Amino acid sequence: MTRLWSHRPQFLHLGLFAAAYVLGCGFAQALAIIPGTGISVWPPSGLFMATLILASRHSWPWWMLGGLFAELFSNVVWFHSPLPAAVLIYAGNALEAATGAWLVNRTLGRPVRLETLHEVLALVVLGAGIAPVVSATVGSATLAWFGIQSQSFTEAWPLWWIGDATGVLIVAPLALVVMQNWRDEARLTGARWMEALGLGLIFLGIAALSLSDYLPFAYIIMPPLLWAAVRFEFKGAAVTLALLALITAIFTISGASQFAGDPESQRQKHIMLQLFLAISASSALIVAAISRQHQVAVLTLRQSVEALRDRERELSQLVNLVPSHVWRLTPAGEPNFINKRLSDFLGLDVVDYDQPGMSRLAAAIATSAHPEDAPGIQEAIGHSLATGKPFSMTWRVRRADGVYRWVESRAEPLRDDAGAILHWYGVNVDIDDQVTAQQALRDRERELAQLVDMVPVQIRRLTPEGEPTFFNKRLLDFFGLHDVAQLEKPDMSRLAAAIQTLVHPEDAARLLKTVRHSLATGEPYAMKYRMRRADGAYRWVDGRGEPVRDHGGAIVQWYAISIDIDDEMRAQEALRDRERELRQLIDAVPALIWSTTPEGTPSYINKPLMDTVGVTLEDLTAPDSSRSLADVHPDDRPVVEQALARSFEAGTAFARTYRQRRSGGGYRWTEGRAEPLRDESGSIVQWYGVCVDIHDLATAQEALRERERFLWQLVETLPIMIDCAAPDGEPMYRSRQLREFLGYELEELDGTGKGRLAGTLDAGVHPDDVADVKESYARSLATGEPYARKHRLRRFDGEYRWVDTRAAPMRNSEGAIIQWNVTCLDIDGQVRAQEELRLAQERLARASQAASLAELSASIAHEVNQPLAAVVANSHACQRWLMAEPPNLERAQKTVERIIRDANSAADVVSRIRALFKQSVETRTRTTLGSVIAEALNLVAEEAVRRRVRLDVDVNRDLPLVALDRVHIQQVLVNLIRNGMDAMESVAHDRVLGLRVRARGDVVQTEISDRGLGVASPERIFEPFFTTKENGMGMGLAICRSIVESHGGRLWVEKNEPHGATFIFTLPAEVKATA
Amino acid sequence: MTTDDHIVFIVDDDARIREALGELLASHGMRAMAFGSAGDYVTTDKPDVPACLILDVELPDINGLDLQRQIAEGDHPPIVFITGHGDIPSSVRAIKHGAVDFLTKPFSDANLMTAVNAAIAQDRQKRSARAELGALRQRYLDLTPREREVLPLVVSGLLNKQAAAELGISEVTLEIHRRNVMQKMMAASLADLVRIAERLEIPITHSRRTRGG
Repeated sequence: MTRLWSHRPQFLHLGLFAAAYVLGCGFAQALAIIPGTGISVWPPSGLFMATLILASRHSWPWWMLGGLFAELFSNVVWFHSPLPAAVLIYAGNALEAATGAWLVNRTLGRPVRLETLHEVLALVVLGAGIAPVVSATVGSATLAWFGIQSQSFTEAWPLWWIGDATGVLIVAPLALVVMQNWRDEARLTGARWMEALGLGLIFLGIAALSLSDYLPFAYIIMPPLLWAAVRFEFKGAAVTLALLALITAIFTISGASQFAGDPESQRQKHIMLQLFLAISASSALIVAAISRQHQVAVLTLRQSVEALRDRERELSQLVNLVPSHVWRLTPAGEPNFINKRLSDFLGLDVVDYDQPGMSRLAAAIATSAHPEDAPGIQEAIGHSLATGKPFSMTWRVRRADGVYRWVESRAEPLRDDAGAILHWYGVNVDIDDQVTAQQALRDRERELAQLVDMVPVQIRRLTPEGEPTFFNKRLLDFFGLHDVAQLEKPDMSRLAAAIQTLVHPEDAARLLKTVRHSLATGEPYAMKYRMRRADGAYRWVDGRGEPVRDHGGAIVQWYAISIDIDDEMRAQEALRDRERELRQLIDAVPALIWSTTPEGTPSYINKPLMDTVGVTLEDLTAPDSSRSLADVHPDDRPVVEQALARSFEAGTAFARTYRQRRSGGGYRWTEGRAEPLRDESGSIVQWYGVCVDIHDLATAQEALRERERFLWQLVETLPIMIDCAAPDGEPMYRSRQLREFLGYELEELDGTGKGRLAGTLDAGVHPDDVADVKESYARSLATGEPYARKHRLRRFDGEYRWVDTRAAPMRNSEGAIIQWNVTCLDIDGQVRAQEELRLAQERLARASQAASLAELSASIAHEVNQPLAAVVANSHACQRWLMAEPPNLERAQKTVERIIRDANSAADVVSRIRALFKQSVETRTRTTLGSVIAEALNLVAEEAVRRRVRLDVDVNRDLPLVALDRVHIQQVLVNLIRNGMDAMESVAHDRVLGLRVRARGDVVQTEISDRGLGVASPERIFEPFFTTKENGMGMGLAICRSIVESHGGRLWVEKNEPHGATFIFTLPAEVKATA
Repeated sequence: MTTDDHIVFIVDDDARIREALGELLASHGMRAMAFGSAGDYVTTDKPDVPACLILDVELPDINGLDLQRQIAEGDHPPIVFITGHGDIPSSVRAIKHGAVDFLTKPFSDANLMTAVNAAIAQDRQKRSARAELGALRQRYLDLTPREREVLPLVVSGLLNKQAAAELGISEVTLEIHRRNVMQKMMAASLADLVRIAERLEIPITHSRRTRGG
């Protein structure tokens, strides 16, 4: 039930259905004019069937229920049949509607649109023809059974059937149209409305005239009816049919119709009426369906044409877009289409070729083809057109910019079914790049061919069987041939013929064998042989051949070359000759020569070696193919072996002295040397060695060494320090004594950046002496004079000791110095003794050099006061020690000793002062005056600079020696020099103090001249306490004169010109013999 | 006889003089150290006891007067100069620069010993003064910062009230600080404290009168 309920139709629809059903019943009641029957056109059958056709099958009970109520209502109002009869009749009607709807739906499927003939026929036959049978049968049977209006079954049945059929035919289409198009909007144009209006008027007019019996035939209504059906199709037919039925009904009921008549004929006429309506309806519906079908066909055709046009446009685009040039010719060969790509390429369209007086094809070829290709094109196209065979050609097309490009053209005919040619279709493919590439390839091939001819190698090609097929130009020229074919000889292979003809008879057989062997085995060959040149000369060549194989490894051909090596062969020959000569030379020279391989295996010994030593190469080769050294003295063998092994490993030269066996027995000292021979890459090719007999030399050297050892020991053990130096003074050897004194070895001086001599002097000589020593050395080295000097030298323990160093050169026979021999004596003891004496004197001298008596006295006072102070202090101490309780006698004793010592010291001072004036001769030494003067000048030099006095010194060389007290004479000199400088104090400029020393007879005379004011009283100034100076004591010159006179000389003053004074003193020269 | 509480340094280039002086001083029971040059004297470590320096004017490396000037910067014993030939300018210069005596060789035992003893006494006094001042300084350093602020105010003569106001503390607190200062500085009275402050050269920054006015 719920299912049924859920499929209920809208109640509005159900209400409308029921109302329409009741109206249909009313219409049928009104038209039921046949007396005694009550059966007429039955519109509800059409309505019911149309409703069920459209409604879903599940909702059918609802519609049937609605129809039942409507029919029962109509029965109450109009039919007045007994209720069971009415229900039965209704059941017949419902069954008819269900049957019709089921059949129609079953045949046509849903939805039913009634647009085709097939559908209309189905409705007419199934709905209007078969379904009413059910209703008519049930209805007629009911009438008969209930005896309503005394109808018999057979009488009622046809009426019932045709009434229902007419009802279905007229109402069902209308109902279907109304129900389906209820909501459709009217889509009629203005013209169609006018037509519909006109048609409606005509239709109503004719209907009125024909049915009102004014016109004789009711069927005259058909033309407008069909018009409506044709023009307005199904809707028009349905509406007009409804109108026709209505009008007919009205006229019939009113009796004005021809279908109205007397009761007898009424039955007949009513059938006629129904037939008329049925025929009109079926005709109109069928025509409407045909019209509809025609319309649909026309529409479909139009769409097809449209689609076809679209497709054509696409194809045309396709043709234009394919990346090749497409063209078409008529069967006669006239171009009638080119695609856009081609026209863009050419810059022309097909119509641009039209020229008066020539065909379009000829014009096109003339315009676009390369002039060289044009005739060929013309001919090829002409041939294809004549025979109908496809056309294919490569030619150059002129592009829009004037450039010709290679294209490949192909054309094929399109034929109809009969085989007649309709069109020629062609394409051009741009192959310019390929053609250019092929051209380049050909050029390259030509170059390669030239290369083969140009390379300075003779090239030939052989078949796999060995037949020469190609000689390059160089080879042909060599042989003086033009072509390989010239080598053909009857009854022998070309290879054999070529070898026989072109190769030296001595080599021919060997070459042929070699080549044949290679041909048989596929191995490359290489051999040297002589070939005959065109001029008949045989030249050596190096011939080689190799097979060329395909992918499968099969030999395709042989390539062989030959290179002219004649010159090299001759050079090698010359080399061999030279080698032979060299070998003879080596065997001839009186030296023992051998060689080994890089590994050390003896490879050669020359004849002198064999003869002198009495060995063969085999004797010198050990079983393991290394050297056996059988010629070496067994005692030396390990050393030599070791040295050789080291040399061979490192690749360095070998040199060793050893004893070598002699063939006559005995051994002799031999110097063996070997050097490696290296190739360009530096690897060793061979070792070459030579043995030199040095036996006599070695013996002599041994004796020499023995003597040298003796001398060396002598030098080393002498109690004197000895040093040997190179001519440039660099020490080469030092005796043990000297080394021990210095505390270092000679070699330790190396690498310090200065020479050994400078190093020794800087490190060893006392800083005060080093400058003088260096200078003396330099002078001796420069002049070759012997060197002698005393100086202080640093001992290993840091103490400086006086040494007396003497050096003399050792000269060779030419007189050139080859060595300096130096001795060095430690004289420190003597020198120190002398030095102490001299220091005391110098102290006094310094004191006495002070020219003023005040200074002298102060100095004397200091010298005397010092010991006196000590004496006094010691005396006090002594006194205290003695007075102490108990007296400290020990210390007192010590103090007294000191007192005595210091008092003596004071007495010494006093006695020395006295000696100064007494001029004791004990301290006199023999010396040259020059050195004394130099010392005196040193003392005053600084003062002279300070006082701006120039010293003009002129001391004669070769002065005789003088016996003098150095200090005293210095004092005289200093005094006189100071006096001179004092004298020039008042002179503004030209302060020159002259000092001249010369030998005059048996005296040495010294002059000291100034440019001062001069001396007023030349004799008085030498008196004591006479002075011309403000602070002078008047003692200086008196002391000076007393000193000079004590030396046996004289001191006086002379006037100087133009001004100033000259003090002169003489000293007696020693007798020459003592110098 | 030799005592360790003082020593005499002798600098003379003449070994005879050094020997003789050493002997003389030994006979007086004095310890002596002799040096041949000024350089030796300066570089040698010497005992830190009251001492006297007998210095020869003519030294090989430096004049004795110049040495006196050089060592004047540091603590050195009083000097007794000796010279072989003394001149007036040199002696005046030496005495001016603090030498105890200037003796010309040869000199008498008495003169030398008087000078040496005077010098040692002088040195001993100088040393004790230096030690006392050192003790005072140490005591001052033991004061707290606040007490070090209080000290100058007190020795300036300010009343406790004034000093307290100056430091912004109460009078009672100041009293405590003042008592601590007196105790730590070991001052028996305010006068004693003032004297100590003077020796420590603590400035008197305030005056009671100007403060009051």
